[in-house]
Amino acid sequence: MKRNLLAALCLAALHSTARAGDASLTALKAKGQLVLGLDDSFPPMGFRNDDNQIVGYDIDVAREVAKRLGVALVPQPIDWNAKEQELGTGKIDCIWNGFTITEERAKAMLFSKPYLRNAQVVVVKKDSGYATLASLKGKKVGLQAGSSAGDALTAAKDFKASLKEVVEFKDNLTALMDLEVKGVDAVVMDLIVANDNIKRSGRPYVVLRETLAPEVFGVGFRKGDVALRDAVQGALEAMAKDGTLGKITVKWFGADISVVGK
Amino acid sequence: MDVVSVEHLSKSYGDLKVVSDLSFSVHQGEVLAIIGPSGSGKSTLLRAMTHLEEADAGTITIGGTRILADGIYADAAALRTGLLKLGLVFQDFNLFPHFSVLRNVTEAQERVLRRSKAEAREAALALLEKMGLGDKAAAYPGELSGGQKQRVAIARALALGPQVLLFDEPTSALDPELTHQVLEVIRELAAEKMTMVVVTHEMAFARDVADRAMLIDAGVVVEEGPARELIENPQNERTRAFLKRFSQGGRA
Amino acid sequence: MVKLLAAMLEGTVVSLEVFALTLLFALPLALPIALGRMSRSALVRAPIHLYILVMRGTPLILQIIFVYFGPGYVLGATFDRFTAVIVAFTINYAAYFAEIYRGGLQAIPRGQYEAAKVLGLTRTDTFLRVVLPQLVKRILPATANEVITLVKDTALAQVIGVAELFHAAQNASARQFSTMPIFLAGAFYFVMNWVVSEGFLRWERRLSYFG
Repeated sequence: MKRNLLAALCLAALHSTARAGDASLTALKAKGQLVLGLDDSFPPMGFRNDDNQIVGYDIDVAREVAKRLGVALVPQPIDWNAKEQELGTGKIDCIWNGFTITEERAKAMLFSKPYLRNAQVVVVKKDSGYATLASLKGKKVGLQAGSSAGDALTAAKDFKASLKEVVEFKDNLTALMDLEVKGVDAVVMDLIVANDNIKRSGRPYVVLRETLAPEVFGVGFRKGDVALRDAVQGALEAMAKDGTLGKITVKWFGADISVVGK
Repeated sequence: MDVVSVEHLSKSYGDLKVVSDLSFSVHQGEVLAIIGPSGSGKSTLLRAMTHLEEADAGTITIGGTRILADGIYADAAALRTGLLKLGLVFQDFNLFPHFSVLRNVTEAQERVLRRSKAEAREAALALLEKMGLGDKAAAYPGELSGGQKQRVAIARALALGPQVLLFDEPTSALDPELTHQVLEVIRELAAEKMTMVVVTHEMAFARDVADRAMLIDAGVVVEEGPARELIENPQNERTRAFLKRFSQGGRA
Repeated sequence: MVKLLAAMLEGTVVSLEVFALTLLFALPLALPIALGRMSRSALVRAPIHLYILVMRGTPLILQIIFVYFGPGYVLGATFDRFTAVIVAFTINYAAYFAEIYRGGLQAIPRGQYEAAKVLGLTRTDTFLRVVLPQLVKRILPATANEVITLVKDTALAQVIGVAELFHAAQNASARQFSTMPIFLAGAFYFVMNWVVSEGFLRWERRLSYFG
């Protein structure tokens, strides 16, 4: 009798630890907040509107996800260069800001499944006359420090080697400002962001047809936060199924280009 | 009665013995002039008496209060009592530049003697009048001449009613034309029987105003005696040698 | 335009908060540090000297990052963003002010202390009534320099996500695709510093009654 009870207790204990996994989701729910880290000057994914509110595609999607998890969304602007530290030290719960999934990043953190396709492209001024990657030989190229634009450029070895200089900027805006004054001849950045930029600014920028690496956006979590990641992924898939995600995507991009559940 | 009593005072800086087994005393109402070459220990003596420096050995008694006993200084309370009986006038005046002349003289009265503002003000104005500076009460030290500053310094010291006034070369930092202003004041104080110890190079003044004089050289008392006699007719060879440097009635 | 100004004003308020709190804590804190730096005991003097060297020898931006992320790795607990900024700014600026105080204190003639002592003034009275007023006058120009630098340094708070003026200006620039907000921010900083400079100038004039 006693031995059976003991065995039953051990089994129950093992079972519960196996099922508990990690406490990330329960901790988040107890906190009542999902703290989302972003570079708040990255339209259309996450940025500040005229009323100084933080808005964007990722913000709208995240807000809905948070609602479904029963917590409030807290968008937290951070310095993009410090994003790994902010996440690692628990200051933010996720990085959700047009965040490209790369092999290197996947080693250090946990990603959701891709939710949007993107590419790294090269933006030049319309009147500059550059039309191909080859035409930029011996020229200067700018990009945001700490972004996947840098990785994409490194991967395009021949192209990078042909350049005179690669200049790193704090954010895409500053890189584009330098493009404007011809401090650099081209800027490597996300296709999605470039298109949004050109559309809203009406500036005479052009995206070269030759793209660098195609990539996907995902949501970044701390390595051990499996439960949290799974819950967010689940919410995203549910939103894709019931059309909520599609509606938000059309609002921001004119068409449902999201790839969740597809 | 001895107002000041210094016995076997010694002070060294490392190997250099600046004051060496020095003893002297000053009676009530007496003016003692201390003369001697530079570096002889005269200033150190005054500074040891006012606890600006600490002597290594000896006994100092001021107005009955023992502030130094066999090389050991008294506790804080006794020190305060004793030092309050002393006033010191510096060669460089050391007036407080951010206080008006009046406030320079009232500040310590209010903070140390706890006199009322009105009391202190009255006493200060009276002293300044006496110094011939009644009209300068609202001025600031920066606006005064050296002679005026020193007279304010004397008023500041007198305001606390000390039993003994010490002067550390009071006119050495002054232009020759201004020294007489200060010497006049000291002369008046002497006439009023204020007990004073004056370290000075003004030999004529020492001879005429001091009751006694003392020559200190290399930290020891070389000669001591009635001022007029010592200066006009020194007994000791070294005293004679020292005084020879001074022309009659002149100054180093 | 109104919305832009409103956004920049929000940022300015944060910048001013950082500015005011830093001064509130750093100015008093610097005094014991300065005294410790001048202490006769090497046990007190040496670590303080080291602290001043590190604070003045490393970039403030690095110190902000360190204060914010560092404790997490070592102690497991961290400051919130704004607190981290204030802590980092305070301990940095206290070091600079301490050196200014030290310079001023060492320039006060020893005769002032001696006259006060001979008159029987207590150590407290000597410090508060004789030394401090003279110290303040001496250190005004150098202190004005540091305070003006502080106004501009508040822009560094954005490195750990504190939404101060410069960050607001950069965001507005991103949104409007124009550099105008940046120049506007420049004007804001200029005005703030003009007020600071004027303030110190007037203060210096008020203390010119003595040499």
